[in-house]
Amino acid sequence: MATPSSLPSSVPPHTTPKPSAGAAGAGAVLEWFGQKAIAAWTYGADLGGLVFLSLRDLVSPGRKGRGESFRVIARQVLFSGVDALPVISGIALMLGIIIITQAGTQLPKIGAGGMIGNIIVVVVIRELGPLLTAFIVVGRSGTAITTELGNMRVAREVVALELMGIRVTRFIVMPRMVGMVLSMICLTLYFDVVSVLGGFFVARIVLTVPFDAFAQGITHSLSLVDALVTLSKGAMFGTAVAAICSYHGLSVRESYTEVPQQATRAMINSLTICLLLDILITLAAYFS
Amino acid sequence: MNTAIELIDVRVGSEESERRVEVSLAVDEGEWLVLLGPTRSGKSVILELCAGLIVPDEGRVRLLGRDLRAATEDDWLDLRARVGTVLQQPGLLSNMTVFNNVALPLRYHNVDLDEETVRVRVAAQLDALGLAALADRFPSQLTQGEVRCAAIGRALILGQELLLLDDPTAGLDAEMTKNLVAHLADLRREHPLTILATMRTFSPFLDVADRVAFLSEGRVEASGPPAQLRAAGEPSWLGYLQPRREF
Repeated sequence: MATPSSLPSSVPPHTTPKPSAGAAGAGAVLEWFGQKAIAAWTYGADLGGLVFLSLRDLVSPGRKGRGESFRVIARQVLFSGVDALPVISGIALMLGIIIITQAGTQLPKIGAGGMIGNIIVVVVIRELGPLLTAFIVVGRSGTAITTELGNMRVAREVVALELMGIRVTRFIVMPRMVGMVLSMICLTLYFDVVSVLGGFFVARIVLTVPFDAFAQGITHSLSLVDALVTLSKGAMFGTAVAAICSYHGLSVRESYTEVPQQATRAMINSLTICLLLDILITLAAYFS
Repeated sequence: MNTAIELIDVRVGSEESERRVEVSLAVDEGEWLVLLGPTRSGKSVILELCAGLIVPDEGRVRLLGRDLRAATEDDWLDLRARVGTVLQQPGLLSNMTVFNNVALPLRYHNVDLDEETVRVRVAAQLDALGLAALADRFPSQLTQGEVRCAAIGRALILGQELLLLDDPTAGLDAEMTKNLVAHLADLRREHPLTILATMRTFSPFLDVADRVAFLSEGRVEASGPPAQLRAAGEPSWLGYLQPRREF
């Protein structure tokens, strides 16, 4: 009995193939790597398909469902963005204190006190800001998306939407993706500002660097490329996290026990893919 | 008269399959057909075939003049806006109130409708189904029957031409069943609404249906007006066509 679905490759549960017990030696290893590669390729293709369908729904000229999608986007921004501000503030502040204290106390010892601006830009604005924001968003909102969609699958709410002629990518995935991207960009910028400024003011107790010099160091080190890289990381991470978490949520089939399993997979895969994207963006931006 | 649903030499599942169905069936426009039979006799499979949730291994399914096998994604979206479907699990969105659940298809498909028109139409629908007092409740605050009624209200809100209902009276009390049957009868007087419903036990639905098809092991054993089937007196399906008296 075949089952049609509008979802990419009918979103099968993502399973990791195990090496065959009977096979031995190099052939078995090769087979294992081959299976892994095929599974990774299928997974990537499914995610790409989901992103494509969502982008198509975002830019398609039809007005159908726009109002409902906008409501979901607003709720997603509220949950992933606004509600995450206290957590982001705390972690950004603590990270800022640690890095600025370390840089401010260690760099002068080697005669590189003037490099503090560079260090802040490289470590916080370019790398840790977007990455830690993504990690927080994955843990907070990504798993929530997977859990919500997984429960919707089991309760047959997703099927009910399809039966009403409501496109699942337009009503469920695309709004979450847009909400997540907007939230990630804003949260990344907010993280950087809180981390740098808040960290400086708190760490001022132990620093000998005056604020003017500190600010000048940062503004001199911060280029347009840095700003663009930070924003593009926010956007890419937001897209990836929303796609991965939605995919795993929609992969739930029959039972509520699948929901936490998919949530765990979604979290691990989101973190891994955010790190891979980070490497790719960094290489593309600074080695080209 | 045009045919709203046509299942032509349809087969689903293998010989050993528990959900095997072999059926040819046609439902005319405006007809009210009840598929009656014991649990796992293939009623829900036929409904899911018509809803496009499963594809037959053999044969063809035509819905409102379209061959489902050849339907494009846009055809599907169009068809599903014209066909209301309520499965055994009604699938009300748990994060929306009853009102917003019923209003969802209206807001999604009719973007030019103002909010006041939506409110009036949804309120009228809920009122007809006896759910007006529950408009602001969430699905978790409702009984099983109320959830099902709300889902049927949602499936009818666009003025659908065809209604597919899987066990629509499950969990409904006598009053709710009466309201539902009366509401569907009213709608049928207004426009030619075709109804395909499944039942696994006697229900007042059977008395108002134009035709009943009795299913057993995935095959239609008998089909005809309820009175005619009752008159035939075949014991294997007679028990399903009459209210139980042994209690």
